[in-house]
Amino acid sequence: MSEPASETIRLTIDGVEVAVPKGTTVLKAAETAGIVVPHYCYHPGIPTRPAQCRMCLVEIEGQPKLQPSCVMTAGDGMNVVTQSEAAREARRSVIEFLLLNHPVDCPICDAAGQCMLQDYAYETGQLESRFQEAKLVLGRDRIADDILYFADRCILCTRCVRFMRDVAGDEALIVAQRGHKAYIDTFPGKDLDNEFRGNIVDVCPVGALVHEDFLFKARAWDMDSAPGVCPGCSNGCNIEIGAKENQVVRIKPRYNAEVNSYWMCDYGRKHLVMANRGARIDLPLIRRNGELEAVHWGEALTWLSERMPEGDGVAVVSPFESTESIAAFRALLARIGISGGGYRLARGDEAQLAGFPKLKLRAERAPNATAAELFGFREVESLPSIAAGATVIVAGDRLDDLPADFAGDAGFFAYLGSHLSEAARNADVILPITTFLEMEGTFINHEGRLQRFRQALVPPGVARPAWMVIRRLLSLLGDGADVLEAEAAFERAATETPGLAGIAWSAIGPKGVLVRTDGAAAPSAR
Amino acid sequence: MKKVHPAVVGAQPFQLAEHRPVERLFEDAEGRDRLEKSLSRYPEKKGALLPMLAYAQERNGWLSPEAMEEIAEALDLTPAYVRSVATFYTMYAKRPVGRYWIQVCTCISCHVNRGEEVFESFLEHTGTRAGEVSEDGRYTVIEAECLGACGFATVVQVNDRYFENVTPETVPEVLAQLEPGEPEA
Repeated sequence: MSEPASETIRLTIDGVEVAVPKGTTVLKAAETAGIVVPHYCYHPGIPTRPAQCRMCLVEIEGQPKLQPSCVMTAGDGMNVVTQSEAAREARRSVIEFLLLNHPVDCPICDAAGQCMLQDYAYETGQLESRFQEAKLVLGRDRIADDILYFADRCILCTRCVRFMRDVAGDEALIVAQRGHKAYIDTFPGKDLDNEFRGNIVDVCPVGALVHEDFLFKARAWDMDSAPGVCPGCSNGCNIEIGAKENQVVRIKPRYNAEVNSYWMCDYGRKHLVMANRGARIDLPLIRRNGELEAVHWGEALTWLSERMPEGDGVAVVSPFESTESIAAFRALLARIGISGGGYRLARGDEAQLAGFPKLKLRAERAPNATAAELFGFREVESLPSIAAGATVIVAGDRLDDLPADFAGDAGFFAYLGSHLSEAARNADVILPITTFLEMEGTFINHEGRLQRFRQALVPPGVARPAWMVIRRLLSLLGDGADVLEAEAAFERAATETPGLAGIAWSAIGPKGVLVRTDGAAAPSAR
Repeated sequence: MKKVHPAVVGAQPFQLAEHRPVERLFEDAEGRDRLEKSLSRYPEKKGALLPMLAYAQERNGWLSPEAMEEIAEALDLTPAYVRSVATFYTMYAKRPVGRYWIQVCTCISCHVNRGEEVFESFLEHTGTRAGEVSEDGRYTVIEAECLGACGFATVVQVNDRYFENVTPETVPEVLAQLEPGEPEA
């Protein structure tokens, strides 16, 4: 006796008929009809639903009282009205209560513009408070070394408490005191140190929890935002990159049911702070008479194509490069006769999010080692010592841990990178390439999921994506045409490995697409 | 001189010495015995939380962070969770209190019977602010959640005894009953 899994029920919400699977809540059913029922305590990623904010109350025909739509299961033939006078009045009352002691300090609040209290207060239209008494002041607190809590702004939806308890599995955050004195707190002397604590800032519907890295950095409407993929580890969490004046100011997780749900780890957030590191290479440099000299792209690439030695050599790629760049680099190596090639991969401690098994801060601290493997690069502990007269080509690897005389007596040393380390200064030619933030491309995560990321920042100087630079160089060497767009770069790459064969650029949806990695050794297995 | 009700006399261990170090709860036979008895009464370990908080207060006079941590460990809870429960109830003292712990109810029934004025009157007559210990170590006055004696509002609980139908004017009488002899200057 098994119930058909996809039994469908029909109900009417605000006059719109919707068909949803049995067991769906009214709130979710309304979403399918494009109707957003205001809510605070309900969060789709947090399993517990206390229905305590009373914001999502809706009128259901035949039921004497308003019902919380976040826990109310939709029934066949139900007639739901979210905009009835009674429902609107209930919401207005909730908002009035929430605003009693709220400081309404929107002009200095980080959440302004992206605040659910602001949105709904505006929507209910009651712009003046009837509250005449002095407001209760609770103050603020530091609840983690990078998170501040503004108790006066808090509406006690307990999303943060329930995220820590039910998703992170670490009941370290609580509601202390009761009634009008209640606030969110940790145990005295025990700040949050969970690897996933940053998510409590994202789930906060108001500006009560703020991340210090973002504190007073930007107004929500002043930021440009681009969908990205976190380069912190091989998990490939989807992120939204908030940028202002060409600086990354905020990183938020972006929903992907197959990778990270609504969450990301703090390592990823912290890691991206260094995205704003300055001192970039912004012009091509070539060595003339022993000195590095800045030249324009045409001159640099022509110079390079004329001097590019043939034969074997040492090749190093960075697992932070995009799939398209790694593919182009492999094509270049094949053209000049270098076989093999390696990449270096930093490792660190792992951290698992208890409530979502697929989200784990993975030991491999780079986003695209799988693509490097796919294109025949192998992980190396350290770079081989460079024999005198050898050819060395490095793409992306910063070389910043290497001695200043690295490859000092190499026969030919070409460096494509974003930052000029001591070791990289020994190169005969230095080409400025973009970081993943300044280009469009793809990463392949630990399980072989190919995901697109978009350009968030303007590249410094004349830096260009590595795939564009290398394909141009190849065309000067008489091997194929120029590639000027990420789509073309990907499609070219897809013809160069069986793993990507048959995958169209347009088919890489918001969830990404799994690629065949059987030709590659999984980096985590070694 | 009025006869003093025994429950009001500062006879509990914490009331004998003002700044006594906090005792560990479950390191002696008595504490372990209390814990085991409580645990046997509930289907889950978590159930014994309120009795254990009460025991900690009975033993030390207040709920120190150390005691909360000890209870959390004994009941497989997080210290933070124990704190959320302890701070929810006004009957648990989260900091040391004076010899006479005066809990004035200001919930609905007492509120309409001038509970807040009674509370203010207690503060005035003891010379303290809400929650603080008076200079002579004798009094701590707090606002309490409903004490469940709404028929006799305003209700004031001093240590383990209830004083009923208290008005702002009768506050000095209540205080006079607490300790025999002359009130201190």
